[in-house]
Amino acid sequence: MAFVIPIIFIIIIVIATIKKVNVFSSFTRGAQDGLKFTLSLIPLLATIFMMCELFEVSGLSSAMSKALSPVFGFFKIPEELSKLILIKPFSGSGSLSYLTEIIETYGADSYTGRCACVLYGSSETVFYIFAVYFANTKKGKRIVPIIIILFSTFISTVFACFICRFI
Amino acid sequence: MNAIFTAVFVASAIAICICSPNSFLTALLNGAMNAAKTGLTLFCVYCVWMGISAVAEDAGINATIARFLQPACKKVFRCDDAEASLNIAMNLSCNLLGIGGAATPFAVKAVNALEKDGNVFAQNLLFIVNATSIQIIPTTVIALRAAAGSANAGDITLPSLLATLVSTGLAVTLYFIVSRRSA
Repeated sequence: MAFVIPIIFIIIIVIATIKKVNVFSSFTRGAQDGLKFTLSLIPLLATIFMMCELFEVSGLSSAMSKALSPVFGFFKIPEELSKLILIKPFSGSGSLSYLTEIIETYGADSYTGRCACVLYGSSETVFYIFAVYFANTKKGKRIVPIIIILFSTFISTVFACFICRFI
Repeated sequence: MNAIFTAVFVASAIAICICSPNSFLTALLNGAMNAAKTGLTLFCVYCVWMGISAVAEDAGINATIARFLQPACKKVFRCDDAEASLNIAMNLSCNLLGIGGAATPFAVKAVNALEKDGNVFAQNLLFIVNATSIQIIPTTVIALRAAAGSANAGDITLPSLLATLVSTGLAVTLYFIVSRRSA
């Protein structure tokens, strides 16, 4: 699989050269767009990350995961994962540090560790994606998609913990 | 987003006032610092992918691919716009290849292009597909497991794939049902 990406690059550059495109200046222009895009993104990131950090430091996030762990227990989700599940929709780096913690504590091949890995790999930072995608759009009815996504993610979480017992 | 942000921010700030008022500013600054670090990482990813994508665009490759994909895009996303369909296609291929970071700028371009036509349906559908994660091989997790000394780091690939199929499939189906009812 690893050779796919270099081959894509080679094909694109060869075709561009045949078509007499100035590869260097095109690439630079693209990188410049990348810079512009990053600059428009950083204020958003900063605001969201401040909220996440505050949520974390204030102890609200652990209080909430403690409160919700009986619910998770009902769906046969290991309680140790509740913090990871709660933080994942908000912050990628935050959930990654929880995942590392879980793997270190319980071991990568334990049931809890494997569940955590599957959860992390099969879900996304919903609110972060939401903020980035719709930063430049007018208000629309976005609440329905968010509810659908969170619901589906929860169902797939239950499902993931279930199949981890067998596969 | 505004409501969530305000609610979480105020609730956390009140909690921090009671427990440890000193850590309030530190937390905010740490958050901003994380944003700067993440921004720098993302900038590197975007440079590579938007750079090569600009080369492909100038060589006319993008236009050719877009022409191929347009019928499918029209059917699924109800979208006629060439620029939007191309960016949707690029976004989906980046996701499938496991370069999720590179997928974001294409999605944002697509959402902005769709905004011109007021195509909220396609915007939401693209958001749903991305937010339920359609990665085939979870590379980050496998690397992490291997580093932690897992006996078989790749054995979570199949369960992850199944779980992500469940979430994406369920979300897309639900969205189609909801939007059909309101249409």
